[in-house]
Amino acid sequence: MGNDRNRVTRRAFGGGVFSAGVVVSSLAGIAPSFAQGAPKRGGTLVATWGGGEPQACYVPAGGGSSPTFSSSKLFERLAKRAMDGKFEGVLAESWKPSADFKTYTLKIRKGVKFHDGKDMTVDDVVFSIGEIWKKYAAAAAMTDFAGVEAPDADTVVVKYNTPTPEFFFSSALCGIVSYVVPKHIYAGSDPVTNPANNAPIGTGPWKFKEWVRGSHFEYVKNENYWQKDLPYMDRLIIRYVRDPAGRAAAMEAGDIQIGVFNPVAPPDIKRLTGTGKFVATPKGYEESVWSTTLECNMRNPVFAKREVRQAMFHAIDRSFIAKTVYYGYARPGTSPIYSPNTAFFTADTYKTGFDPKKAAALLDAAGYPKKADGKRFTVNLLAAGWFTENGKIGAYVKQALEDAGVGVNLSVPDRPTSIKRIYTDYDYDMAISNQANPSEPIPSTTQYFTTDGIKKGVPFRNANGYSNPEVDALVEKIKVETDPAKRRELVFQFQKIITVEAPLLPLVEIESITVASTRVQNHSNDPNYLAASWADIWLAS
Amino acid sequence: MAGELASPAASRRPTGGGSSRRIAALRLLRRRLIQAVPLMLGVVVINFCLIQMAPGSFLELMTAENQVSDPATIELLRKTYGLDDPVWLQLVKYIWALVQFDFGFSYRQNRPVIDAISDHLPATLLLMVSSITLALAVGVAAGVVASMKVRTFWDSLVSVAAMFFFAAPGFWLGIMLIVLFSVKLGWLPVGGMMTIGGVGGGATGAGGVLDVLHHLILPTLALGLFYAAIYTRVMRSSMLEVAQLDFVRTARAKGLSRNQVTIGHVLRNALLPVVTILGVQMGTVLAGSVVIESVFSWPGVGSLLFDSVSSRNYPVVLGIMVLGSLVVIAANIAVDLVYMWLDPRIEIR
Repeated sequence: MGNDRNRVTRRAFGGGVFSAGVVVSSLAGIAPSFAQGAPKRGGTLVATWGGGEPQACYVPAGGGSSPTFSSSKLFERLAKRAMDGKFEGVLAESWKPSADFKTYTLKIRKGVKFHDGKDMTVDDVVFSIGEIWKKYAAAAAMTDFAGVEAPDADTVVVKYNTPTPEFFFSSALCGIVSYVVPKHIYAGSDPVTNPANNAPIGTGPWKFKEWVRGSHFEYVKNENYWQKDLPYMDRLIIRYVRDPAGRAAAMEAGDIQIGVFNPVAPPDIKRLTGTGKFVATPKGYEESVWSTTLECNMRNPVFAKREVRQAMFHAIDRSFIAKTVYYGYARPGTSPIYSPNTAFFTADTYKTGFDPKKAAALLDAAGYPKKADGKRFTVNLLAAGWFTENGKIGAYVKQALEDAGVGVNLSVPDRPTSIKRIYTDYDYDMAISNQANPSEPIPSTTQYFTTDGIKKGVPFRNANGYSNPEVDALVEKIKVETDPAKRRELVFQFQKIITVEAPLLPLVEIESITVASTRVQNHSNDPNYLAASWADIWLAS
Repeated sequence: MAGELASPAASRRPTGGGSSRRIAALRLLRRRLIQAVPLMLGVVVINFCLIQMAPGSFLELMTAENQVSDPATIELLRKTYGLDDPVWLQLVKYIWALVQFDFGFSYRQNRPVIDAISDHLPATLLLMVSSITLALAVGVAAGVVASMKVRTFWDSLVSVAAMFFFAAPGFWLGIMLIVLFSVKLGWLPVGGMMTIGGVGGGATGAGGVLDVLHHLILPTLALGLFYAAIYTRVMRSSMLEVAQLDFVRTARAKGLSRNQVTIGHVLRNALLPVVTILGVQMGTVLAGSVVIESVFSWPGVGSLLFDSVSSRNYPVVLGIMVLGSLVVIAANIAVDLVYMWLDPRIEIR
């Protein structure tokens, strides 16, 4: 534990993430505001984010970024990742694997109370792992889970059927909604429909007080929080403002002090920071890097040819997309493992950079020369409409591919339609979509490429029908390899194969931003700040 | 509905006393309520079919957001939510539930639809009422002024202002109002329905009412000024038209002052077209509130409807449509009654 330097959050599709969707990369002269002097106690912090109101304050299975934002202040996980990449205990004080890596033993923190005054015990941890994580919060990552038990009042033992890498296990402890929930509230009920989901009782630094639907959540300081002297502030308000321009105005008027996950449009970032009263930072998203991807449906015989898939990427100028569509607040993507992932990313892969001549040569070699009308073939391009940028990228990709002699029928359906057409109907030849993969590649990243990821009607899996026995075998090895160095090398091999095969690759890696008043201290200090507890945030005078 | 009222010219029967007018009003009310039944049925059927035609379902979104990977689980959810029933059966079940005042259950929000909507409906009704009130007050007043000062500077000023507010998109006007009155001048709140997180937050009683009214000003202006522009133009032309009628000339000949003629004779008759438009526009006011609520973070059904359409949350969308239709129907019935009050010669067919 603690040696790995990578990130661990589970993939969470941003259900409500329909903000401007724009981000900052090169924020020269714009820096986050960290603690200055002794923290000031008391006061109210009003926060917002770049999306809408959640469907419930807490959704056991995740439910997207919005309920993660609201619930992560109330519940706590067993562990978390620090900004330096090390794992740190939260409700677990420590954990260690057995010699065969099939069993992990955790020591649970004592003296922790739920908001209703009841003690948090190992029974709550066992219940959370066995009943909530396994069935809802981390189901995809717990396929080899064999059971959990508490041999004594301080210890919890988690068992697996197969050797489980330590990085994988530690990542599971830090899962985005891998919370410890109160057994006395959830046992014997359907966790999905439990009324407590709308007024959660957790162990976190903030206690639920009120949800004014359509407006805000109000949380108050947990006076019995196990971390003494925290939280610093008396009250935390999470306010929902649908319109990015409205958020910018509310921040400028002083109604909102901090906005996470792209709360305002790029021009407003510069305007707000230009006043000297706000800072903007890309920090706090190292655990949740988003990308915009292009994927090719293998069911179309044209894309069954690898050269055609490679040609599609060579025909597209990713730098242009980053600069034009994202105002320079993104960078070209090269691998299914994103470049900030220092544990598993490798730059030593096949490069599908912008090269129109190579694209033309590949298409010619694949047996698709230009016909008399100048076209080689025509494809249906679906740009998923959940981010407005996807539609703009679709318009550019259409032009770029048409320059390469590929006719494009572009459609930009809304979110439900996009999900249905891509994952249920397979009604596309190429799709522009998005991912937010965590550092741990199993299963969040690999399920887009393995044969067992082909599940009709199951969103955000291998919709393209890509099946490669070599990749399948490699992923099975990654799952059980417990030597970090060997596992890292296996993931490198995975990337090399995928970048050559190119069934799905990122066009750009997006950076998200936080905008905050200069009065706000100790923010953006967690690699997934949206999902952090915000116990140590405070407002300067 | 107002169109079914006989015009004053068509009516030749002498009007009865107060009692007969009350009876006529009750008959009108009964007839309108009976007519509302097939109307509501049409609203439900059409909206249900439109929603069914939209690709994608809330189940697909739910499984996407929750990373449900087991096809068997998805199938089980499909059965649980009744999505495996034929569409016609789903419709019949829905109508039968509605008859029993059951608007269904929002599985996305894990609560009854009526609870989800009733959390938001009062805010929307408040915004609608305040906007219509503003529109009527400003529109009628400006129309009267323009007609009394016809072809003067004041007439031109009113016309230009009316054209401006008619042409200005609501969301743009809203943002401009926020920039001016909230950001630059700091007089009014940026959004929301009440002060949160600051001094005055959670105020109750008179303080709370004043706080809500303070927050209501800008969204009311953004939504109401568009309709005020329409009423201004209609009122102006209606006033000028009525002013040419014989009974007005007679009133003048009797020696009544200009103000007496205008207020006592012209205004009341000139209001009829405005009232007609008011009834017709109730639905568009409700629709317009969706945009304005978004700009001002007003916690009304607009944001709920937007979210529900985006997430294919059919029960909530249908619930809002049904309740919205009820509001529009009720408003139109009220307009019919106002018609009778404004012009006693009007008789219900």
